[in-house]
Amino acid sequence: MANPDPVSQTEDLVLEMRGIRKEFPGVVANDEVSFEVRRGEVHALLGENGAGKSTLMNILYGLYKPDGGEIRVNGKPVSFSSAREAIQAGIGMVHQHFMLIPVMTVAENIVLGIEPSKGFLLDESGAEQRVRELSQQYGLAVDPGALVSDITVGQEQRVEILKALYRGADLLILDEPTAVLTPQEATELFQIIRSLQADGKSIIFITHKLNEVLEIADRITVLRRGKTIETAPRAGATEASLARAMVGREVLLRVEKGASDVGDVLLDVKDLHVLDDRGIEKVRGVSFTVHAGEIVGIAGVDGNGQSELIDALAGLQKVQQGTITVDGRDISEATPRQALDAGVGHIPEDRQRRGLVLEFSISENVALHDYASPPDARWGWIFPGRMVEHAKRLIKDFDVRGGGPFTRAGGLSGGNQQKLVAAREIDRDPKFLIAAQPTRGLDVGAIEYLHRRLVSERDEGRAILLVSLELEEILSLSDRILVLYEGRIVGEHTSDVSEEEIGLKMLGGKEKTAA
Amino acid sequence: MNTWTTRLDNPLSVRLRDASVTGYAGLGLGVFAAFLAIPPIEARAVVWPILAGILGASLGVWTVTRGRRRLGWGAVAAGVIGIGLGILATRSSAGNLSSVFDATLFAQTLSFATPLIFGAIGGMFSERSGVVNIGLEGMMVMGAFWGVYGADKGNSWALGLVVAMGAGGLIALVYAFFAIQLRSDQIVGGTGVNFLAVGITGYFFVTLYHNNPIPNGVPLLPNVHIAGLGHFLEGSIGDLNILTWAGLALVVVSYVVMFKTPIGLRIRACGEHPRAADTVGINVYAIRYGCVVLSGVLAATGGIYLSEGPQGNGSFLFDMPQGVGFIALAALIFGNWRPAGAFAAALLFGFSTAIGLRLQVYSASYATLFNALPFILTLIAVAGVIGRTVAPAADGKPYAKQ
Repeated sequence: MANPDPVSQTEDLVLEMRGIRKEFPGVVANDEVSFEVRRGEVHALLGENGAGKSTLMNILYGLYKPDGGEIRVNGKPVSFSSAREAIQAGIGMVHQHFMLIPVMTVAENIVLGIEPSKGFLLDESGAEQRVRELSQQYGLAVDPGALVSDITVGQEQRVEILKALYRGADLLILDEPTAVLTPQEATELFQIIRSLQADGKSIIFITHKLNEVLEIADRITVLRRGKTIETAPRAGATEASLARAMVGREVLLRVEKGASDVGDVLLDVKDLHVLDDRGIEKVRGVSFTVHAGEIVGIAGVDGNGQSELIDALAGLQKVQQGTITVDGRDISEATPRQALDAGVGHIPEDRQRRGLVLEFSISENVALHDYASPPDARWGWIFPGRMVEHAKRLIKDFDVRGGGPFTRAGGLSGGNQQKLVAAREIDRDPKFLIAAQPTRGLDVGAIEYLHRRLVSERDEGRAILLVSLELEEILSLSDRILVLYEGRIVGEHTSDVSEEEIGLKMLGGKEKTAA
Repeated sequence: MNTWTTRLDNPLSVRLRDASVTGYAGLGLGVFAAFLAIPPIEARAVVWPILAGILGASLGVWTVTRGRRRLGWGAVAAGVIGIGLGILATRSSAGNLSSVFDATLFAQTLSFATPLIFGAIGGMFSERSGVVNIGLEGMMVMGAFWGVYGADKGNSWALGLVVAMGAGGLIALVYAFFAIQLRSDQIVGGTGVNFLAVGITGYFFVTLYHNNPIPNGVPLLPNVHIAGLGHFLEGSIGDLNILTWAGLALVVVSYVVMFKTPIGLRIRACGEHPRAADTVGINVYAIRYGCVVLSGVLAATGGIYLSEGPQGNGSFLFDMPQGVGFIALAALIFGNWRPAGAFAAALLFGFSTAIGLRLQVYSASYATLFNALPFILTLIAVAGVIGRTVAPAADGKPYAKQ
């Protein structure tokens, strides 16, 4: 590719990290980790959540102090005590959650901290000029004068990359860069990475998506439970071999599911209109059905009405117009409680804010819906013992690890929190289950479990609506796929549709291909 | 629905029909209705305020139908209130009117606005860096007392000013330590500052002056006399206090610093997204400390104006600011955390105080009612009628380094 013969450059190491060790109370996050990056290579750092990738990068970026080990940048030993020192040594980091200020312009965000000035005053036009030059040099198209709040997520990421380049970064750390992008934006990002590489920059690409690693990386280092498992060239690696190295066992990458056995219509949505909190119509006349024994996937770029649709179905948002019928019962005017009682189960988008009360114990979280009815309560009196029994059963059935009934829900890992939410919702035996972003931010093992569970619930005869921003998840789980764009359904497909076709529809159809 | 408006491609006519334009025009007409009867216009017929008010209210109704509900209803309310006040004004005698509205009203407005300007701009520095400062009132108390003390003992108003600024900066430093270093709740901490300031000044007032009034002859902040401007101008700006001029300069300087310099960009970054500022190597703590201390220095400057300015006569009273610090905070919010906005709000509040005093010629109860105007206006502003005020995103959130 852009770097024709990386092997001949073995001696030219930009970064060497040897025997890095970092302990947090009770956990060894990095255990004798070794990691190196050659000049001009894209080096993928692969691992599950909690494998120690972020800790390693935070050490490199000067945010954590290592307990042991040695770091060399361009052959010289270094010890950073702040991000500022790492920046000065030519290291730039694009954080997973962008560090941008929405009310400021692109140029202001980029020059912040090392602003060009004319006397006392900020040289606004000089800053914009400098940004324009940089963005032309690397093909990162952005408008320097635009407010960050007005640009797309893909552009925000370019601003972050420009921020690092403006500071003279030679080694760029990209932390899960594709997590927030559409397939098209991800393709553009890969082009940008190649042009940076052609310019002699080195890139560390942190991810847990295997296909991306195989597409962009020259070499791959896999971390598992704080240890370096292997560093290997891309040639010869396969998704299966990488997954095995990451998880430590064979992983089912494709969800195994049989043909769906479709039954009666359990969810019937007709001409639904929903406003968001600011009174803007976000769902504009959506009609669809979900049958028993079927998973219907809703694909779309974030912010095209998914959240409002979900909230309306769960009774959390008022329906402006249209009807929602669950198993023959009209719930368009229902309160959340009535919706639950009509047979709606809801795995919400944000498990930490809407799915769980983090300060409550597991057993209290399990009882959130049915705390007021037998067996949890009778005559207005709650029986904690029964709640605990209930929680114990669900912990066992759904393989929730990391605590017992009295453990704080906030103390569980993301995967186990999500299992807990799923357990509570599925245990109520819903006819219709909403799974909104069920695997966001989870690692391969937890994703595998939740996907299998959703398929088996489908086979039990539930109607499942899967809303996800991960196109791959939609494609692998759904029996039917609906594409939501600006509050309308713009396409309906069977599960054998190509990723590109859906991706185009997600951006508003074929006439906007250039976007 | 609005196809016929979009079909017109004359940009001016489209812009004039824009909901926000009609809404603000309605608000303006409502206010105009109230002022029709007073100098310099002096329309004496009842019909004029009624006409202007109705026009304003109907523009408001139009705005409501275009979807800008809050703004529209605000214009309707302004129209109705404008009609009421306009009728009252046309019914009162011309002699009373001209005793209320004359050139010195302008001077008095600026005079009452001066401490508010210092307080609000001080608050702006603190809040733009991400620290809520409801301790402005207490910082003003410090300025009011220690300013008199310095001027009395040093026999110089300039020394008083320096002492006042030092005292305000010092108590702000204490507050900064709690709010930034210890990450305590900033509302509780700010309230603590207010009480602490009353306690400190009260203690020293009793100890140093034995609770007696401060002796006569303490040098006051001087006025700046400008002659030869003509009758109206000389009456309005010919005899303003030195701090009033300083306050006007402060508005311009603080705007330039906050929005046109690198340090201003960094301050705003700390108030919007401190972690982003931190990752590019800005010392969030240092910026916030600096801004909070500066806010104390400026608020104390507003405070010394109360005791050493034209209204104070060099005497200190317990709880001197009587809410001026809180009104300054309201002016800051009303002005959307911007210098020009805060200045406009301070002028408005100063005007309502000045006119409240003058309305005594009609009735004391009207005057008292008028004094409540700043608070009513602030409530309306915070409720979002006149645009939406947006606080810095990280305002009031202590920052913890990773």
